[in-house]
Amino acid sequence: MNTGAGASRSLAFAAAGVIGLLLAPVVVVVVISFSADSFIVFPPSGWSLRWYERLLSHRPLMAGLQLSATVAAFVAVLSLILGLPAALALARGNFPGREALRAFFLAPLLLPTLVLGLALLLAFQPFGLIATLPGLVLAHLTVTLPFVVRMMATNFATLPDDLEAAAATLGAPPLRVFFRVTLPLAAPGLAASGALAFLLSFDETVISLFVSGPRASTLPVEMVRYVEGRTDPMIAALSTVLVCGTLAVAVAVERMIGLTRAVGR
Amino acid sequence: MEQSLAARDHCGQRPLKQPSLALMAHLVLTGLTKRYGQTVAVASLDLAVERGESVALLGPSGCGKTTTLRMLAGLIAPDAGRVTVADQDLTQVPTHKRDMGYVFQSYALFPHLDVAANVAFGLAERGIARSERDRRAREALALVRLAGFEGRRPRELSGGQQQRVALARALVLRPQVLLLDESLSNLDARLRESMRHEIREIQRNLAITTLFVTHDQTEALTMCDRIAVMNRGRIEQIGTAREIYDTPATRFVAGFVGRINTIPLARDATGLNAGGIAIRAHGVPDGPVDLFLRPQLVALAARSEPAGDANRLEGVAARTVFVGDRSEVLVDTAAGRLVVELAPGAPAPADGAEIALLWAPETGRVFAREDA
Ligand SMILES: Nc1ncnc2c1ncn2[C@@H]1O[C@H](COP(=O)(O)OP(=O)(O)O)[C@@H](O)[C@H]1O
Ligand SMILES: [Mg+2]
Repeated sequence: MNTGAGASRSLAFAAAGVIGLLLAPVVVVVVISFSADSFIVFPPSGWSLRWYERLLSHRPLMAGLQLSATVAAFVAVLSLILGLPAALALARGNFPGREALRAFFLAPLLLPTLVLGLALLLAFQPFGLIATLPGLVLAHLTVTLPFVVRMMATNFATLPDDLEAAAATLGAPPLRVFFRVTLPLAAPGLAASGALAFLLSFDETVISLFVSGPRASTLPVEMVRYVEGRTDPMIAALSTVLVCGTLAVAVAVERMIGLTRAVGR
Repeated sequence: MEQSLAARDHCGQRPLKQPSLALMAHLVLTGLTKRYGQTVAVASLDLAVERGESVALLGPSGCGKTTTLRMLAGLIAPDAGRVTVADQDLTQVPTHKRDMGYVFQSYALFPHLDVAANVAFGLAERGIARSERDRRAREALALVRLAGFEGRRPRELSGGQQQRVALARALVLRPQVLLLDESLSNLDARLRESMRHEIREIQRNLAITTLFVTHDQTEALTMCDRIAVMNRGRIEQIGTAREIYDTPATRFVAGFVGRINTIPLARDATGLNAGGIAIRAHGVPDGPVDLFLRPQLVALAARSEPAGDANRLEGVAARTVFVGDRSEVLVDTAAGRLVVELAPGAPAPADGAEIALLWAPETGRVFAREDA
């Protein structure tokens, strides 16, 4: 009994330690973002909001933020629209090669993004898709779609038994069953999938580096460029904003269905 | 089709081109078969249910009851066989056009809709106006004694209430055929009893052709006009509760429906014997056999009492058990321990009393022994 309690207490300490270790850099970044210094110094010698003000007036980063948000919104919506039929087929369909298809949808997850980025660069070049909104959206879809399909397939597969059958016995044809029963019940899961697609797209860096250009660069790409040139607390201010934004989306999803269930299989 | 219309015009009756059973019955299953790999879930099942009749599909878990019901509703495609309702072949008709109410074992209420919307779900599919829908849903809920629960969500209801909502949801459409799958199995004993009578009454009043799946024989005996006893994907016997109980057609039916004593019989030069005591019985098949004897068809007698034409087995009363509405005496005999029902008002024999058991040769049923 005692040893068990002791063990669980030391486990709790260990867990707290790991979490602390993971969060420490984030805390450092947040602290630095409120610095009054001109360079990154920890701890800062004074406090101010000057780097947040500087951020707001920084054209390239603001343009990147806007582009990233636009791309992510398109990616989220398109992931849902394109992923829905595939997810339904995977979860409900009983066709030959279903397992192969499932494997296919998992494959891009295992492909190094560097390879994927290069492949997309080569494929997009002839069509003039590099550094365009459609190009970025298309590129990000290759990353988000497998995630979204798998998540939604799980979502459909775990709906309570017999509900759709019950709707059919009550006289609802298949399409009506889908809209009156399947879709409403799957809605929280779909919203979570959309949110995940948004975050994945917003965060995507490696592939964006390949398919971005001077004409159009996403926020992560602009950030990489900025940090290459200099290091000042402004990038910390931006990071703090992003952490808060991501957290807000995650909390919203958690509210809707619970993050663990959304990502778990 | 044309032929049948013509025939009807001429003599004012239905044509007589099909077997009369199929013609009379409202719901007819012919050769219905379903396999899952090696398992034969339903094996060429035939069943005819009259209009307004309630038939129980009674059998142990896994014998194919649910599979049968699902094929009927079109939720599973049969490998072979036909489903006919009112002389119309529905085998290829999709579920939503079959007009069959189905009460699922899991109730399958829509969690995102309130009780009223659940009940009105099918009415909306039929394009009935909102106000009319609400009225009929309220009516159906009153029928299952759930008036006032319209605004609740399914998860806010007890199991029994959910079950009644599921029933109301099916009944509100006045389906041609009502299918109930173990609908009472999740309820506690008291609620189950009252629901049995309620469902039976509603079914009778509305005269809905009903197939009621259950593994509970009391349910089958009390709720239905006829019982079809199922085993391993087949119907072993179909008949009224009395017929099934008094004259079981197979060994399985005898053992499954009601309490029964199984007495192994042996053969000698003069005939059959149980533990060395000569026994007479009717309808004895070849090979090793067992005698099946209902506890209430055996009389307790003093050792001195003459047997007359009856079979007689001596024994010792081991124990008398009071089981609520009757008493049962456990009697140790040369053929093993038998259960005998004490006649109402009869005194219980003292434990250890030496007694005799008497039964007429025609009351027992003899079936071939199954290989163990
Ligand atoms: N989808 C399925 N896949 C494989 N076997 C099944 C399936 N559904 C039912 N079975 C098998 O068919 C038999 C009959 O099942 P079921 O109709 O559910 O029985 P019951 O309702 O009488 O308990 C069982 O042996 C069951 O294991
Ligand atoms: Mg079943």
